[in-house]
Amino acid sequence: MMKRSVCKRISLLAAVLALLTIPANAMHIAEGYLPVPWAFGWMAVCVPFVVAGFLSIKKKVALNPRAKVLLAMCGAFAFVLSALKIPSVTGSCSHPTGVGLGAILFGPAATVVLGLIVLLFQALLLAHGGLTTLGANVFSMAIVGPFVSYGLYVLLKKTGCKPALAVFAAAAMGDLATYVTTSIQLGVVYGNFLEYLSIFALTQIPLAIAEGILTVVVFNVLEKYAKEELRDLSVL
Amino acid sequence: MGTDRCAYLSRLRNVDPIPKVWFTLAVLLICVFADSVVVGLFTLAALSVLNIVVGGQRTGDLLHFLKVPLAFLIIGCLTIAIRPIGQAEALWAFRLLGRWRWGITAENLRLGLLVFCKAMGAVSAMYFLSLNTPMTDLTMALERLHVPKLFVELMELIYRFIFLLAGEAGRIKVAQESRLGYRGFRRSMHSMGELLSTVFVRSLHRGNRVFSALESRGYTGSLTTLPGQYTPGRWLYGLAAATAACQLLILIAERRLLP
Repeated sequence: MMKRSVCKRISLLAAVLALLTIPANAMHIAEGYLPVPWAFGWMAVCVPFVVAGFLSIKKKVALNPRAKVLLAMCGAFAFVLSALKIPSVTGSCSHPTGVGLGAILFGPAATVVLGLIVLLFQALLLAHGGLTTLGANVFSMAIVGPFVSYGLYVLLKKTGCKPALAVFAAAAMGDLATYVTTSIQLGVVYGNFLEYLSIFALTQIPLAIAEGILTVVVFNVLEKYAKEELRDLSVL
Repeated sequence: MGTDRCAYLSRLRNVDPIPKVWFTLAVLLICVFADSVVVGLFTLAALSVLNIVVGGQRTGDLLHFLKVPLAFLIIGCLTIAIRPIGQAEALWAFRLLGRWRWGITAENLRLGLLVFCKAMGAVSAMYFLSLNTPMTDLTMALERLHVPKLFVELMELIYRFIFLLAGEAGRIKVAQESRLGYRGFRRSMHSMGELLSTVFVRSLHRGNRVFSALESRGYTGSLTTLPGQYTPGRWLYGLAAATAACQLLILIAERRLLP
C-alpha cells in the first residue's frame, strides 16, 4: 500500500515536470483541434476587425506609399520576434508573443492585419497553428492581446504613471489576456476551462513577466537611440 | 526556414498552385467535418503517402514536421481525457491532493482520441500544401483567387523581409553569445532587449532604403511580377475527388458498422 502511494506521487511529480517543458508556442491552437462550428465561428468574429484594420492600412498607404514597405518590415519583425527564444524566469526558454510590443509600436489596427499574415506564415512555414484554427488564433493573438495592451498603455500614460511601468503592464497584461482567451476558446468547446487555465498558467505567467521586462528594455534602448525612427513610425 | 526548403525541392514545385490549394482544402475540410477517428487516421496515412510518393518528400523530413504539433496535441488531448469527474464511473481515477477525484471516463477517452486523430489528419493535409508549394507561388495564387492586392503585396514583402531580419538577428545573437551575453537572467534580458531594438531600428532603416531603391526604379505603388511557368496539374482535381471519395466511404462504413 505504502509502495503504491509512493509510485503514484512519483508519477504525479513526473507529470507536473513534463508540463513545465511545454513550449510557449503551444499557445497556437493546432490544425484540426477545434470542431467545425467553433473554427468557423471564430473566423466570422475576426472578419469585422480584419476588414476595419485593412481599410485603415489602405488609407494610410494611399496617403503615404512609404508606409507599405514600413508595414511589411514591421510584420517581418513580428515574425522574427516570435521565433526568438527569450530567457524565462523558471529557467526554461520560451518564445515571446510580441503582442504588447507590436500593439504599442504600430497601433491595434495595423497589428490585426500584420498579425493575420504572421499567423498564416507561422501555420504554413512552421506548423504553429493551422488553417482551420486561424480564426481562433487571430482572435486571441492579433485582436484581444493587442487591444488590451494598447488600451492599457494609453490609459496608464494618461493617468501620468511612469512610462516604464506603463510599457511593462501593457506587455504583460497583453500576454495574459491572450492566454486567458486561448484557454476560454479551448474550454468552451471541451468543457474544462479551468484545467487549460491552470496548465497554461505554468508557462504563461513567468513568460508574461519576462516579456514585460524585455519590452521595457527594448523601449529604453529605442528611446535613447531611435527617437527619430519612432517619429517616422507615426505615419503608420 | 521550416517547410520552405522542402517546398523548393518538391516534385510538385512546377505544378500550378491553385489545384494544390483546392486539393488541400477539400481533404482538410472533409477530415475536420467528418469528426471520426478512422477518417482522421486514413487522412494521415493517405496524405503522408501522397507527400512521399507524389511530392517526393523524404520520409525523415515528413516525420520531423509531423512531430511539430505533437507538443500541443498531446497536452491538449490529455487535458480532454483526464479531468475532474466527481462520482462518475471511471476507467482509472485518483484523488488530487487527497480531495478531488480526477480520472479518465470512457466518454472522455473517446473524445480525446477523436480530437487527436482528427487533428493529425488535418495537419498532414495542410502539409501537402506547405511542403509542395513555395510561398511566392502561393501568394501569386492568392492574387489570382481575388484576395485584395494590398494584402497579397504585404504578404510578399513580409515573406522576403523575414529572411533578411532573421539572418541579421541570428548574426547579432552569435556575436552576443560569443561575448557571454546570455549568462544569467539579468544579462540575457539586457542582451535580448538590445538585439530586438537594434533589429527593429535597422529594419526601419532598411524599409526606407528599400523604398528609395524601388522609387528610383519607377515604383508607382505596386509590385508586378510575371507568374511562373506552371504545368496545369488538372490531375490533382482527380486525385482530390478520389481521396475525398475514400474518406466519405470510410465515414459511411464506420457509421454503419459502429452505431
